[in-house]
Amino acid sequence: MREASDGALAVEVDGVVKNFGRIRALDGVQLAVRQGEVFGLLGPNGSGKTTLIRCMVGLVVPDAGTVTVLGRRLPDLGVLSRVGYMTQAAALYPDLSVLENLRFFAAISGGDRHVNEALEFVELADRRHSVVATLSGGMRTRASLACAIVHRPELLLLDEPTVGIDPLLRAQLWGRFREMTESGTTIIVSSHVMDEAARCDRLGLILFGRLLAEGSVAELLSIARTDRLEDAFLKLSQVESR
Amino acid sequence: MNAHRVLAITRRLLQQFRRDRRTLGLLFGAPLVILGLLYFLFRGSGPNPAIGVVNLDQGPLGAAVASRLEASSGVDNGRLDADTAAARLKDGRLAGYVVLPADFSLSAARDGVIRPQIHVEGSQPGQSAAVVQAVSRALAGTAASQLGSSGIRAPVVEPAVSYLYGGPSLDTLDYFGGAFVGLVVFFLVFVITCVSFLRERSQGTLERLMASPLRRVEIVVGYMLGFTLLALAQAVEVIVFALAVLKIHNSGNVLLIFGIETLLALAAVNLGIFLSMFARTEFQAVQFIPLVIAPQLLLSGIVFPVSSEPGWMQAISNVLPLTYAANGLHDVMLKGADLGWSAIQLDIGVVLAFCLLAVVAAAATLRRRVA
Repeated sequence: MREASDGALAVEVDGVVKNFGRIRALDGVQLAVRQGEVFGLLGPNGSGKTTLIRCMVGLVVPDAGTVTVLGRRLPDLGVLSRVGYMTQAAALYPDLSVLENLRFFAAISGGDRHVNEALEFVELADRRHSVVATLSGGMRTRASLACAIVHRPELLLLDEPTVGIDPLLRAQLWGRFREMTESGTTIIVSSHVMDEAARCDRLGLILFGRLLAEGSVAELLSIARTDRLEDAFLKLSQVESR
Repeated sequence: MNAHRVLAITRRLLQQFRRDRRTLGLLFGAPLVILGLLYFLFRGSGPNPAIGVVNLDQGPLGAAVASRLEASSGVDNGRLDADTAAARLKDGRLAGYVVLPADFSLSAARDGVIRPQIHVEGSQPGQSAAVVQAVSRALAGTAASQLGSSGIRAPVVEPAVSYLYGGPSLDTLDYFGGAFVGLVVFFLVFVITCVSFLRERSQGTLERLMASPLRRVEIVVGYMLGFTLLALAQAVEVIVFALAVLKIHNSGNVLLIFGIETLLALAAVNLGIFLSMFARTEFQAVQFIPLVIAPQLLLSGIVFPVSSEPGWMQAISNVLPLTYAANGLHDVMLKGADLGWSAIQLDIGVVLAFCLLAVVAAAATLRRRVA
């Protein structure tokens, strides 16, 4: 377990409420993510993970509460050049090559100096001229990650990045995420896979748009008085629904 | 063939449509709107073309024919002198005028032939025909009753028709070609923009753009520039094809035609982006074609002149951007209009204003519409 570098916060979510019609997607979420850590948002499908991440990039404007990212209170377009966002599905231009996609996303985020590094990082340098439509699912995910990090963001938001990815590539991607935090990047990753959650420095358990618990894996296990993260999640969600 | 399985497909199809209100609306609403518009265009009583009378004849027949013409239903403009009539024809207040020459009575008595000179504006073939027809009908009736009662046999009417613009050497394509050049560019650019922008949303990349430092207006203007470059290349191709290969008549400046085409393409790009915000699927985007294109085809004066529409319909025509672009192209190609004409300045100004409005509207709608 790494300690956060200086205790500064990368993201601070304060009392965020978001309704979509009659459905309350976020119900007063309170969350603090420290700089340089891998923070996992853990919860079942439809629990509000994606909405919370979209709040952090200004795609969703909360009905109440505030979101502060890298010291800037949203909405703030300027801070987005320091944030990388990888959407759930690999959102790329299928009729462009990997390199053309990367160059585009680099240009709109400010500068294309790191295109080659990003390609090397996701091991797609030899497929740089391949049109995205011809790539396999795993390659597309890697290309999508490359597009999210090509501008060297200080904060990287990953929305279920390893869904539909084979275990080998999953392990490889987590290795990459770890490398990035070692160079100071903060990563927030959403998942509903428990073994992935165990790789995070700290976790937030989210259910019905509310944060049930927040802490390191060890802390969550001791709160729930169990030794399996899965059981901890089930126990904590039962407390909530009572 | 298994009836059960076939019916399962039929039922599923109808169930899907039941939830797609917009498609149902289009399926059952659009035909009524389009046919209704056609009804008013063909049967609606627009104002008669304004026709003036210039009587230069000293004899009795001229005065009689002139007063009959003025009284007839097709002629609703009073007696004029030749200069005023010519000026009004040029500024569009008259669709045509008839001159009864100085030897009108003499020629009728001596040769049994009357030769009125009919001057028509000429840039609308339907209108020219209506003027000639109205005048001939009034003349024939009048001359027959006038002369028949005095015992002289009815004279032959041999009108001499002269055209301010165009003329008998032009064919239908010459008259309609200019406006259709505009319509083709508008239509294709609109469809391509609308669908491409929608794809940005359906493939998820718009979400990425919106999570980047890009401003909304930067996205819209970037799109506009890209599609405008394509549209300009298309406009060059269309104009060259129309003028050099199809030999559509042009009395104006080719650069001005290109300029109007460019503005029209800009308007189509921005309208496409704006309307794509209101479609969730490419299927729904394609449905904008009958909604956007069909009324403009009917009401923009491309086929039916706006001046011949009923008043309420003219009000609709006057807010459609294509009306102004088609009118501009028509004026340039048939009348040789240039930038000094106030009509051309108005046309260009309105299309330009529409472009700006659509950019602002597209940028304003973008935020709320990220999938």
